[in-house]
Amino acid sequence: MASLRNKDEEAFGYLYENYSGALYGVVKQIIGDLELSNDVLQETFVNIWRRMDSYDETKGRLFTWMLNIARNAAIDKTRSKGFQQSQRQMPLDGEFIQPSVRPDIDDFGLKKLIFKLKDEQRLLIDLSYFQGFTHEQIATALHIPLGTVKTRIRSALTQLRALMQS
Amino acid sequence: MNVKEYISSGIIESYVLGLATEAERQEFETNCVQYLEIAEARNAFELALEEQLLKESAAPPSVLKDRIQDKITASVSDTNTTEFEEDKTPVRSLGVWRWVAAASLILLAASVYWAITSNNRYQQLRAENSELQDSLQKTKDEIASAQGTSSQPRSDFKMASITAGSDASVSIYWDTTSKDVYLMIKNMPQPPTDKQYQLWALLPEEGAPPIDLGMIELKQQRLLYRMKNVQNAKAFAITLEPKGGSSKPTTEPMVSSQPVNL
Repeated sequence: MASLRNKDEEAFGYLYENYSGALYGVVKQIIGDLELSNDVLQETFVNIWRRMDSYDETKGRLFTWMLNIARNAAIDKTRSKGFQQSQRQMPLDGEFIQPSVRPDIDDFGLKKLIFKLKDEQRLLIDLSYFQGFTHEQIATALHIPLGTVKTRIRSALTQLRALMQS
Repeated sequence: MNVKEYISSGIIESYVLGLATEAERQEFETNCVQYLEIAEARNAFELALEEQLLKESAAPPSVLKDRIQDKITASVSDTNTTEFEEDKTPVRSLGVWRWVAAASLILLAASVYWAITSNNRYQQLRAENSELQDSLQKTKDEIASAQGTSSQPRSDFKMASITAGSDASVSIYWDTTSKDVYLMIKNMPQPPTDKQYQLWALLPEEGAPPIDLGMIELKQQRLLYRMKNVQNAKAFAITLEPKGGSSKPTTEPMVSSQPVNL
């Protein structure tokens, strides 16, 4: 049992050393608040640990899998009652939309690339990726047909990829 | 299937970033098995994304590592301890009366437990039920409003960018079908505490007074503001006004947009 635990610790240490920074960066961009970002990173690693058996390498890289766990945990947190009260966040169909963009963290990570996109593309990526709204919700809020939302998000994503590789 | 077209359609990015719908996910996974080219393209994007995010990573506070490590090992050792105790549960022989006493105590405990849990469960179901009712109503409303918009001609966004040096930069989206006006702020200096920014629509008619589209509350760090609707506009402008706003601009526009192409 002791050796199993050592092995676990080693594996955890490896994942944490290599990936916590990248995951933390994304979580912070979604959450904004540092203290809550710490909680979300903790939830992320606990989830990664619990669900490790369900990772299927034929469907993608380990990092992608972990990134999606981190993004989901962060978006779940922004939907929690406590968070919404503290951030005065409103649902998309409300009077205003709270930015996931924070001035102090806009200057790095994906956000930096996103600022190079056209305004509308930037808005769509922000709403869908960083705030987790569905295409349907975005279509309703912005009065754009659903099909158009989808096409525009797809084209914004390919644009983002081009920026990433340039 | 045109594999090249499929690869460049944005589905790969959508899938990897978790934005694809369930149906799209399943289709994509099948396609990856069938076409090696698609799986390779997915892998290439995943690598690029990983590289980008690793390059831009931000180290979490150092205390966090131990905290998480403890949390994980705690959940592992909890399970181990329980199993250990279960294995060693001693078997003792008891007199008959002891069995009876024990059994009645267990029964009592069980019925109390049952009463409490069924009450909890009832409360929980009630809460869930009212949540479901709410979300059903919300969905109905959304459908109703979506149906309302779909009967209209396709929305047409007009966009106006306003910039003044590097100090101020905002974009205005004006949906000429629904007349909704959205304001997206890229950069605006904080106004003095007794002042506020106000957005105006400038009308095409010569000499017509600007229309008030509302105040911009910068404090809340909003990305997107929904302003007042406007039927007609040739351009937009922002002025600095006393707190609470003015009925007509009292200062020269701080920034104003180019004419909107109608």
